[in-house]
Amino acid sequence: MAGQSIERREILRILTLAAGAATFPGFSKWSFACGHIRSALAQIKPAVYQPLFFTAPEYAMIERLTDIIIPTDDTPGARDAGVSEFIDLMVSRDLNLQQGFRTGLSWLNSHSQNNSGKPFLSLNPDQQVILLESLAYKKKFRPGEERGRKFFDLIREYTVMGFYTSEIGLKELDFPGLKFYAESPACPHKDDPEHRHLEAAPLKS
Amino acid sequence: MPRQTYDVIVIGTGAGGGMTIKTLCEAGLKVCALNSGRRLDPEKDFRNHRMSWEMKYRGFGDPKTRMKDMPDFLDSEYNPVAWEHDIAYTTAPGTKWMWPRCSAVGGKTNFWGRSSARFGDVDFKAASLDGYDTNWPVTYNEMAPYYTRVEKMIGVASTVQNRPSNPDGIYLPPFNFRCLDVILQKGCEKVGVPYLPDRIAQLTEAHEGHPACHYCGDCTFGCEVGAFFSSPWFLLPVAEASGNLELRTNAVAKNILVDPNGQASGVAYIDRESRQEYEVQGRAVVVAASCIESARIMLNSKSRRWPTGIANSSGQLGRNLCDHLYATTARGYLPQLLGQPSFPDNVSANSIAWMPRWQNLKHAREEKFIRGYSVYPEGGCSEFPSYYDQIEGFGSSFKQEIKRRYPTPISLTVQAPTLPSETNFVDIDPEAKDSFGIPKARIHFQWGNNELQMFQHAKQISADVLHAAGGVLEYAADEPEMPGYSLHETGTCRMGNDAKKFVANRFGQTHDVSNLYVCDASVFLNCTDKTTTLSILAFTLRTSDYLVEQFRHGSI
Repeated sequence: MAGQSIERREILRILTLAAGAATFPGFSKWSFACGHIRSALAQIKPAVYQPLFFTAPEYAMIERLTDIIIPTDDTPGARDAGVSEFIDLMVSRDLNLQQGFRTGLSWLNSHSQNNSGKPFLSLNPDQQVILLESLAYKKKFRPGEERGRKFFDLIREYTVMGFYTSEIGLKELDFPGLKFYAESPACPHKDDPEHRHLEAAPLKS
Repeated sequence: MPRQTYDVIVIGTGAGGGMTIKTLCEAGLKVCALNSGRRLDPEKDFRNHRMSWEMKYRGFGDPKTRMKDMPDFLDSEYNPVAWEHDIAYTTAPGTKWMWPRCSAVGGKTNFWGRSSARFGDVDFKAASLDGYDTNWPVTYNEMAPYYTRVEKMIGVASTVQNRPSNPDGIYLPPFNFRCLDVILQKGCEKVGVPYLPDRIAQLTEAHEGHPACHYCGDCTFGCEVGAFFSSPWFLLPVAEASGNLELRTNAVAKNILVDPNGQASGVAYIDRESRQEYEVQGRAVVVAASCIESARIMLNSKSRRWPTGIANSSGQLGRNLCDHLYATTARGYLPQLLGQPSFPDNVSANSIAWMPRWQNLKHAREEKFIRGYSVYPEGGCSEFPSYYDQIEGFGSSFKQEIKRRYPTPISLTVQAPTLPSETNFVDIDPEAKDSFGIPKARIHFQWGNNELQMFQHAKQISADVLHAAGGVLEYAADEPEMPGYSLHETGTCRMGNDAKKFVANRFGQTHDVSNLYVCDASVFLNCTDKTTTLSILAFTLRTSDYLVEQFRHGSI
């Protein structure tokens, strides 16, 4: 792979010097733009999160659902990344989202009640998964559950948004960004232009 | 402030305005530039060097206040308040149009896509080849030296390609091809279409005092170090250093003032904060507010001498609005790369390759459409796995599949030019005014058959290319993006030799008003298959040189 990755702090320093050496006087203010090092925001969580929008029972469902959608297994999941807090924040700022989430959660509970005589959170984990599978997999779709499927798509979308914009989520993807390179990264397999003979990367079991 | 008459008033500080301002100031002319918004501070306003989790709404923006129905980049948390929220236009019944305007100093050059191909005689003389519309009043030989000067000034990375549709220029070393480029290039080879390094105004090596790119992420959030061309990084500092520029920010141009002879004498503007109206006087006026806004200002400049808008004796002011049809012609993934380690592919959100126009080059009418289009491929490990919606289900398998597909996404976007049409134009809405009390532009626009044919053609080719490359096709758009989405609108003040048919002459000087000049893509006859910024810079440099000559000869 072309270009050595350098620590960002180091490259910021180099760039600051380079820009400062530029001859355009108009740059005097801007040349130090990169001297600014982003403050690493510590992800400090209060002991008990107070939801901005959801009621406590609703919030418990959001936590559980996001945990099922992107679980903590051999790598971190939505729970570790605080995805339910992100969803609560976003939803608190948008009336349409509020309606979508609130009616969706309520649908899920009454659906669970009708099928098993219990609200969703009182089902055991296997039952919860089975219920959601009928909303998530085309082969398992059942008539009359359109609203539930719509809600599942919504909460799955916001779970993905919350998880893969968190530090934990992007690390899990091995997001390669924000490392800086001296040269534009190049394909390392020039002898195999069609990439038919790549070594299969080991999948985590 | 004492009443002062400047040599030139320039409305706008983007590609056209910035180049004009720089050229005039360097020549010693006193310039007053009006910009409708504020200056950006890269430290505060460009957030490319921040991670999503460092922003309150993770980069998506506040759901409560963000603009709906606009492309994400317009109102993202990465560059808040750079884009204009005051909607200054209406649309005629049946017209859909998205008009994103960047009011910040430097305009859209702060965030542009950087693709920088020269226009050629295949564009300038297209009418001779296919009989549609008229030729441009310039030839490639006349324009080539200006393109060369611009490329040397801004730095463009590419290769010499000897394509009949694309004159070559002076280039910095090209971007390296990534895995996905190498694979797609092979696919294109099999289908018989070109896949080459795009021409990109992004510095692959340090250039003219500007640092080389460090490939950190998505340039359309603005560059914190100025490693790609923008007016505030490359042009305005030179002008300010000359001591000849007064830049007035938050100055929303309202109309051009005229003297009793109908010559331009200055500009009336509204201060964004105080809402007070001011006037500034100049010996010449340059309109460089971008295509639709320039037309709006000129149409709103009515006087006894110019009852239908300044320099509009031809009736052509606002006419011939063109745009690029944009659409996703293929999206899917490259299974060869499934499960591969994530690639340090920080340019993933950038288009570094292109499939430059290959149609209608042997003969002008080989295809069902005339002229041609280009295609831009994108893909790789972008920050957010937006392909997740192609994966069913949830749980550990869902998470694993998202990761397995991370290096594989690919999409192709067509850039197809519209043809000038009588029915596509801008006028002034007789009823509606914006929040500054200025009458709004009203847009009349429909896609034409020619570009819709191109779209269908591009879909077929894109699917072929993806299959030939061993890729999996998952999606192709049924409809193009909304008109206006490309930000490549042209026309409204077209240039030509006949004063009865064109607003501006071949130098961008209006036929009617000899001290009024137009320095943006509104003078272009049509939008071609190429992007507009490089040509705005080249045409504007030529116009500015010409304007300086007028001062030297004492014509102004």
